[in-house]
This record gives sequence, C-alpha cells and structure tokens, in this order.
Amino acid sequence: MSLWNRIRRFRGWHEATIALLLVSLLAVAGRLMPSFLRVDSQLLLSRHIWEVAILALGMTPIIITGGIDLSAGSTMGLCAVMFGLCLTASGSLTIGCLACVATGFACGALNGVLISRFRVHPLIVTLATFAGYRGIAEGISQGDSYSKFGDSFSGLARGSWIGIPRPGFLFAMLAIAGTVLLGRTPTGRFIYAIGHNQQAARYSGIAVERLKFWLYTASGLLASLATLVYVSRFDTAKADAGKGFELDVITAVVVGGTSIFGGRGSLLGTILGLLLIHETRLFVSRYWRTDELRSIVVGILLIGSVLVYRVCVRDRRA
Amino acid sequence: MRVSRKSFEAIWRRREFGLILLIAVISLIVATVDSGFLSREVWIDILVRCAPTSIVACGVMLVVVTGEIDISVGSLMAFLAAIMGLMISRNHGNLSCGWGLPATLLLGTVVGAITGGLVTWGRVPSIIVTLGLLTALRGMTTLMMRGENIDGLPEELTHLAKHGMLGLPVGVWVAALVIVVTQVLISGTPLGRRIYAVGSSPYSANLAGLSAHRLKLFVFAYTGFLTALATVVDVPRLPKIDFGIGQELELLVVTCVVVGGVSVSGGRGNLTGVMLGVLLMTMIRPVLTFLNIGETGEKWTKAVHGLFIMLAVVSDHACGRRSNQERVR
Repeated sequence: MSLWNRIRRFRGWHEATIALLLVSLLAVAGRLMPSFLRVDSQLLLSRHIWEVAILALGMTPIIITGGIDLSAGSTMGLCAVMFGLCLTASGSLTIGCLACVATGFACGALNGVLISRFRVHPLIVTLATFAGYRGIAEGISQGDSYSKFGDSFSGLARGSWIGIPRPGFLFAMLAIAGTVLLGRTPTGRFIYAIGHNQQAARYSGIAVERLKFWLYTASGLLASLATLVYVSRFDTAKADAGKGFELDVITAVVVGGTSIFGGRGSLLGTILGLLLIHETRLFVSRYWRTDELRSIVVGILLIGSVLVYRVCVRDRRA
Repeated sequence: MRVSRKSFEAIWRRREFGLILLIAVISLIVATVDSGFLSREVWIDILVRCAPTSIVACGVMLVVVTGEIDISVGSLMAFLAAIMGLMISRNHGNLSCGWGLPATLLLGTVVGAITGGLVTWGRVPSIIVTLGLLTALRGMTTLMMRGENIDGLPEELTHLAKHGMLGLPVGVWVAALVIVVTQVLISGTPLGRRIYAVGSSPYSANLAGLSAHRLKLFVFAYTGFLTALATVVDVPRLPKIDFGIGQELELLVVTCVVVGGVSVSGGRGNLTGVMLGVLLMTMIRPVLTFLNIGETGEKWTKAVHGLFIMLAVVSDHACGRRSNQERVR
C-alpha cells in the first residue's frame, strides 16, 4: 500500500478542501479586518445561522438518498402559525410547543407518504407542499402575527450558556446524533445505498420506502424545532417564518459536497459548507458594506464549487 | 362498441381532458355566484396575466422534457428588466427602443446559453446551476438598481404593452405567436423529435447519434430568449420597474409545466396541457376575488396552488398512468 494509494483512497477530500477554503478565507479576512475574527463579534453575528443549520441536518440525508425537500421553509411558516394560534387560544406554552412539533411531524409525514407510498417524484411533492403549507399558514393567520410570548420563552434562543448561544447546544446535540446515525449505524449505510442505486438497495432487502418516509418526517420535525428557535428569537410567530430558507439550506448542503444525485455526502461537509457560506456572506457584506454583493458571491460559490469538483474529479455519475 | 369504449377511456385518461373539465367546472361555479365573471373584460384580464407565464412556460417545458430543470427564470426576468430599464429609460440611458429591445433579447439568450453550457460541458446539474443563478442574478439586479425604481420608459412602449393592437395588449399576441412556433417546433421538425428522444432515453439517443449537449444548449438558450421576450412585452405594463419583478415566477412556471402533465424525468408531455395548466393557475386569483371572499380569499391563493399540484399528482396515480415516477437508474 503505497502512500499515493492511501491519498487516493482518502474519503474526506471534499471536506478537507472546504475546510482549507474556510481557513484561507478567515486568514484573508483577519488580515484585512482584524476585528472580524474576534470571538464575540463572530458569536454576535452567528445568531441567525441556527435555524438554517438545524434544517440542513434533515436535508443532508434526504439529498444523500437522491431526494430533495423544498417544503422545509414553508413547514416552518405553518408550524409558527399553529404555535401562535394554539398558544393564544390555550394560554399554555406547552400546548403551543406541542402543536408546533405535531404540525412539523404531520407536514413531514404527508411528504413522506406521498413520496414513498404514491411513488411521486420528491421534487413535485415538495413543490406542491412548498406552496401548500405556506398557503395554509397565510390563509389561517390572514397575515396577522402572534407575539409577546413572555420573557422566559423569548430568552430561550436569545440567551447564551457559557458564552455560546443556547440554540447552538440544540444544534450540536442533533448534529452528533445525526453523524452517528449516518456514519456508524446500518441505517446510515442504507441511506447511502439508496442514493447509490435504489433498485439494488430494494433487491438487497432494505426497506427503502419506510426509510424514506422516516427521513422526510424527520425533516418536518427538525423544521418544527427550527421554528421554535426562530419564534423565540423574534418573539413573533408569523406566516412568513423561514421564507426562502430552503434555498439557503440546499446551497449549504451542495457546497458541502453532497451530490444532488445521491450516494455521496456527509454531515461534516454540510456543516463546513454552511460555515463557509456564512463567513463569506459576513465578510463580503462587512468589507464592502453592501448587502447586494452577498447573494452574488453565494450564487457563484454554489456553481463554482460543483463545477470545480466536476471538472477535477471525472465522476461518472453525471 | 369495444373500440369506442376504449377511445373514450383514452380521452378520459388524458391530462388535457381533466384540466378542461376542471377549468369549465370552476368557471361555471363562479359564474353562478357572479355572472360578471363571464364578461369580456375579465377574460381579457386573465389572458393578459397568462401571457408572460405562457411565453416562459414554452421554454421551460422543453427544458423539462430533456430531463433538466430551470428555476432561474424569475431572477433572469428581473435582471433583464433592470438592464432594459437602464438602457431605454429617459432618466438613464435614453437609448432608442430599436437598440435597447434587441439588446435585451440577445442578453437573455446569452445568459440562457451560459446556463446550458454549464449544464452540458461544465457537467453541473441543472438544478444547481439555476439555483445559483436564481440567487446571483437577483443580487446583481438589486446592485444595479441601487434601491431605486426605474421609471420613465418610452410612451410608445408602455402604450403598446397596455393597449396594444386590435384591442388586445401586445403580450397576448406575442404569446400566441410563441405558442404556435413552439408547437411547430415540437411536432413538425426533427429538432422537436430529438428533444423528446434525448429526454426519454439519453442513452438510446446517444447511440442513435444525437448530441444531447447541443440539444440541451439549445433549449436553455431558447428559454433565456423567451424570458427576455416576456420581459420586453410584459414589464412596460407596470408604471415602474422595481427589483421585485418576477419573484417566484420560476415556481409558478414549473408548477404549470407539472400540472400540464410534463414528466420531470423527461421525455413526456405536450404543449396543450402546459397551456391549460397556465390558464388554470392564472385563474386562481381572479376566481378567489370573484367568489367575493375579498381579502380572506386572496390569502388562500397559495394553498389552492399547492392543492392543484396535488390533484394533478394524485390523478396520475389514480389513472394508473406511468406517472412522474423516479426513473430507475
């Protein structure tokens, strides 16, 4: 086993490349703007990243199976409205949270049933529910917003614990659980198997449909958790919660090296991709002091990362 | 007897039949609530609203038939509208329309061709290229417009877009022309057959000597051109150009294409279905207004939107059609 073979067989090339990019970005940013690298300013600016990060944990395994979930952001909208509605009706925070989680579960399960039982393409199903969930949220709430949930609730996402914002702990727990599930359990291997070749996975006795159902349901559940963080942070529940998040999430997952055709990717890559996009956006908007440049840079980053990968690695699965 | 029953069943199973039935039933219900719905003005208004969507849908449909997808059309429309505005507006470039409009069309085609090039020779999946462009083009638009709306478009242009020729705005005529040209392209030329061939089986098409790359490049460039065309005829209808133009247009167009019976795995679908899909989707808002639920109704637009896609999907399943299933690789 020569060194060259070992290098070639190293699985984490993509993750390593992104980490390298991230480090060089931070180095350049630190050189140009020393205040950028200060821990407190970074933590202050990381507040709005957690919802997208939590959604990305559900999206990664789905994209690894070759599917997609466009409805994640809309699910958040519906969850937020149900949360606000049930909380104001009952006056109990517990019931509000339960309603939020139950809504997330139901939204994810509906996607899952349509995709696994009716065998409809995930893109179509989640396009329908993307419009549908947001529409129901807007219809029920009629554009109204619910707010003032009390200091104890709004403090949940705003507060921090040993210097780290509280949602970060929720995210870390979920991320560790997800990494173990994907990398260390048979279920995780089955997810990759489905993405590589669904037919072969089915013939090898993997319960493809059941697994897919649970993946979409988990994505709905994670969306409801993200909603709780979002609602607590703004102290307002409105139908437009999480609007456009699905695109941010998919961008992060794809930049993180997960193949949109399935079969390849990891949660570590997704987290690194998320960080890379986040830091790039921050740096661009603070250095040039324009917000418009951010989306241009992120779009180019998305296309560029896949283009470079495709050109360098002659992948047959195109 | 048997033959006629079979042909009856064949019609029943067509997507177009279901769509016509649905459109007719909805119109009848609304007409009984308020007979004003059947008036000429209302339908002209619906046609005008249909025009840009149907122009763009002609292109996106071909893209979907080749097995790719384009979700950048909304941002592209905003980008082109901003550039067109900056070129021909009195307060900015003050270029004559004779130069400004062809330049816009050319730019749209070029952006479409770049998308196609990235998809084919760059080998980047189309959903990723167009997702990137969706973000990037919107950013460029806001950057170019610097937070200000563009007004002062030439009067001839706004007049043509609003009132047009023979009582119909020019957008409706252009849309009709684009539909005819696309239909001829699909059913009357080898190019159209090749597009379907590549979509239904890229491997067989390759063995038959077709270049999937060139065909895909063509459909993306065509979509870019049509998006520019829709921009040119539809945007001057509004008093000014703001950067919110074309927001969520891409989702609306993809929805119409899917509801119209085009398979996202490629190779299947026809233009009649897609156009009926455009009509159905455009009808939602006027119908909800006419049902006299006022503001309450408008807010449910998106929910009805989602419901129709679901209906299309479930009817596929119920009819036992080879639906938009995932293709086995």
